[in-house]
Amino acid sequence: MQFRLEKRREPSRFMLYATPVAAVLLTMLLGGIIFSLIGYNGFGAVREIFLTPLTNPYKWQDLGVKAAPLIIIGVGLSIAYRANVWNIGAEGQYIIGGLAGTGVALATWGMTGWWILPLMVLAGMAGGMAYASIPALLKTRLNVNEILTSLMLTYASVQLIYYLIRAPWKDPMGMGFPQTRLFSEAARLPTIIPGTIVHLGVPMAVLVGFIAWFVMTRTVFGYRMRVVGAAPSAARYGGFSENKTIWLAMLVSGGLAGLAGVLEVAGPFQRMVPGFPTNYGFTAIIVAFLGRLNPLGVIVAGVVLAITFVGGEVAQTTIGLPNAATGIFQAMMLFFLLAADILIKYRVRRVTHQASVETA
Amino acid sequence: MPYRLELTGITKRFPGVLANDNVSFAVKPGEIHALLGENGAGKSTLVKMIYGIMQPDAGEIRWDGQVVNIANPKDARRLGVGMVFQHFSLFEALTVFENIALGMDAKIPPRELEARIRAVMTKYGLLLDPHRTVATLSVGERQRIEIVRALLLDPKLLIMDEPTSVLTPQEVEALFVVLRLLAQQGCSILYISHKLHEIKALCDTATILRAGKLVDTCDPREETSRSMAEKMIGAGLRDIVRSEGRTMGLPKLVVSRLSTHKTGHFDVPVNDVSFSVRAGEIFGIAGVAGNGQNALLDALSGEIVSDDKDAVTLDGNPLGLLGTTKRRKRGLCAVPEERNGHAAVGDFTLSDNSVLTARDRLGMVIMGLLNSGAAKTYTGRVIADFAVKALGPASTAGSLSGGNLQKFIMGREILQKPSVLVVSQPTWGVDAGAAAAIHQALVDLAAAGSAIVVISQDLDELLALSDTLAVINMGQLSASRAVGDVSVEEIGLLMGGVHQSVEASDAVPA
Repeated sequence: MQFRLEKRREPSRFMLYATPVAAVLLTMLLGGIIFSLIGYNGFGAVREIFLTPLTNPYKWQDLGVKAAPLIIIGVGLSIAYRANVWNIGAEGQYIIGGLAGTGVALATWGMTGWWILPLMVLAGMAGGMAYASIPALLKTRLNVNEILTSLMLTYASVQLIYYLIRAPWKDPMGMGFPQTRLFSEAARLPTIIPGTIVHLGVPMAVLVGFIAWFVMTRTVFGYRMRVVGAAPSAARYGGFSENKTIWLAMLVSGGLAGLAGVLEVAGPFQRMVPGFPTNYGFTAIIVAFLGRLNPLGVIVAGVVLAITFVGGEVAQTTIGLPNAATGIFQAMMLFFLLAADILIKYRVRRVTHQASVETA
Repeated sequence: MPYRLELTGITKRFPGVLANDNVSFAVKPGEIHALLGENGAGKSTLVKMIYGIMQPDAGEIRWDGQVVNIANPKDARRLGVGMVFQHFSLFEALTVFENIALGMDAKIPPRELEARIRAVMTKYGLLLDPHRTVATLSVGERQRIEIVRALLLDPKLLIMDEPTSVLTPQEVEALFVVLRLLAQQGCSILYISHKLHEIKALCDTATILRAGKLVDTCDPREETSRSMAEKMIGAGLRDIVRSEGRTMGLPKLVVSRLSTHKTGHFDVPVNDVSFSVRAGEIFGIAGVAGNGQNALLDALSGEIVSDDKDAVTLDGNPLGLLGTTKRRKRGLCAVPEERNGHAAVGDFTLSDNSVLTARDRLGMVIMGLLNSGAAKTYTGRVIADFAVKALGPASTAGSLSGGNLQKFIMGREILQKPSVLVVSQPTWGVDAGAAAAIHQALVDLAAAGSAIVVISQDLDELLALSDTLAVINMGQLSASRAVGDVSVEEIGLLMGGVHQSVEASDAVPA
């Protein structure tokens, strides 16, 4: 007896939505086994990581705040990946977005006015776009692989933070700490639920998801992204230029990463610090895939990954799990998801083994 | 003497389809046996079971009188079944010899293998230099590699899947000489084709399949092409109906000195191509595959934009500098040869595939928003008017059979009523019934005053369809000739073009 993969006539809708769920469940199972084997309370860790953030209402605000940047960046990446434009450098665009917003906040320091926050948001998005346009330019002009350039630019952007907060933007009252001054009131993102840390970025993230969903399913822009990704030759035949699509995909994903950056610096951080790069840009890659490159799915996936972040912190204190455990769980999730994806287009069939030639 | 191959009650079921329903027939030693049927009639499935790629659900296969179970192609080759596929599996960058050596089951020392290759080539007159790179060979020459590969195993049954679809008339004749010689020496041949006059010229017996069932086993020499075609499609065949008293209008599409640049490594660009097509005219472009047809289609559709605005004009308006979208808006629609991934997106619904080319001409876009209602309505019309077998506008293009997808694509363009339509291989791999429908639709579109360009490797199709004919060879287009004034031999020579002379000087018999 053996098993064989058989191509389905139509891709399975059921599997399209079932595989992300299966990937999460498999991650919990295998993660529990692995951490038990290396001497931790493995299934306790799984419970703390995946369930405690949901069952403990005190953790909900953390979930929202962690999920917001993941969703905003993940939505942008899901659009670019749909068009087969592999922007891996959202972390760098997020950082530049945060820095651009910081620049506006410092330039307007001590001023008041309703226009400061919107200006910061615009600057952040423009910063992310500008940073994403470097890989776009190299790709369209010189055919340089955008995976490499966008990834490497991330490391350059981290150095830029270090430079800025150590020299020109250093807090004059900061007793030598490498950080900027605390933003003034007008440059801080307001919280929307009094007494919590839930800031305006959280509902904005959900809104971004819904707008992107509408754009991807109902507009020519979304059609362009889908057709270029699904069949580049057909896209050319249909009149969609590949270079223009690369530019659009890079600008949209970079702009949204920049938006997440400025919301993060104006919200939870309220100043630029060396710890600003928190790998949201990389985790959002998992979010985009777990959400099936569908903006609505990305909203759900963003919450799932936020759970692992929050739960990972819980498990650190209660079980003594190392910080890296969170990353292992997240990576396993992506791994299982990509592996399970084959079930969308193929089904597993059991075949009875046939004997070989019986003739003499 | 027992039959070489005897199938009894072969049945094969796929989810939702009965591909072969109780099929029985037999092939004698040294017989050339045609397997005839429309696309989806179950020919390929049947052949795959004989070659061990699939196993039947029921029924038995006898080989020289013995019941056999062919578990895989290696088993089949061990029995003595050779197969030449329609699509060659050759590495373009390797030589003829290297390609053959890669495909052998047994390890044979190179020197010995080369000697055997040369022996087979001489014996059957399959002249080829074993050390030439495949990329430099014509399609006919490439096919010879596949045949030599199969013959090296001394097959007792050779399966040929649509072998002539890409050959010039002269190459077809040469192939037939080889096949007849093989048959004389006792090798049976199972010949799959839908070209009925070839089957009449070559085969001793014809087995006709329709919808998975065996319809008839007959002697093709006693049948007419028409009677076999009618058995194949199970209904009377429609002739192309041309309205009487058709007059050509003024030149509509004028192409002058159109050239493209070489892009890929093995692409053939077009060079200095000029022709004009009048309103109401069907202009055929014949040629062996790989002579610049793809570049020509792309340069006409706008996928390749010219440097010269007057290289392509429609009613005198220059289109040369415009891309596909703008050319379409001005009335020039095109259908490339490759259906999957070029003319249509397999993962998209038919509705979304309509949006691909019809969005601007038929108001499927309002201020950047897709009007999915309009797309769905139009798709429904295409499905109904062109008898596309699909569940509806929401079916994915990839779920349709090749012929049905082609009908959908042709319908999608034709119902837009373009004033110029350029199509490549409009009936490639499409069954006779669907091909007749597509041909009729093209003739009707021309009768309504459109100018039509048909690029095809199927000479019969072009002769039946076109008013004017030209031949493309190595990216250059011959002078145009009225179809009535030109002989098949002449066209064949033009199609062979440079290849023929290169071949004669290059080929090294053992």
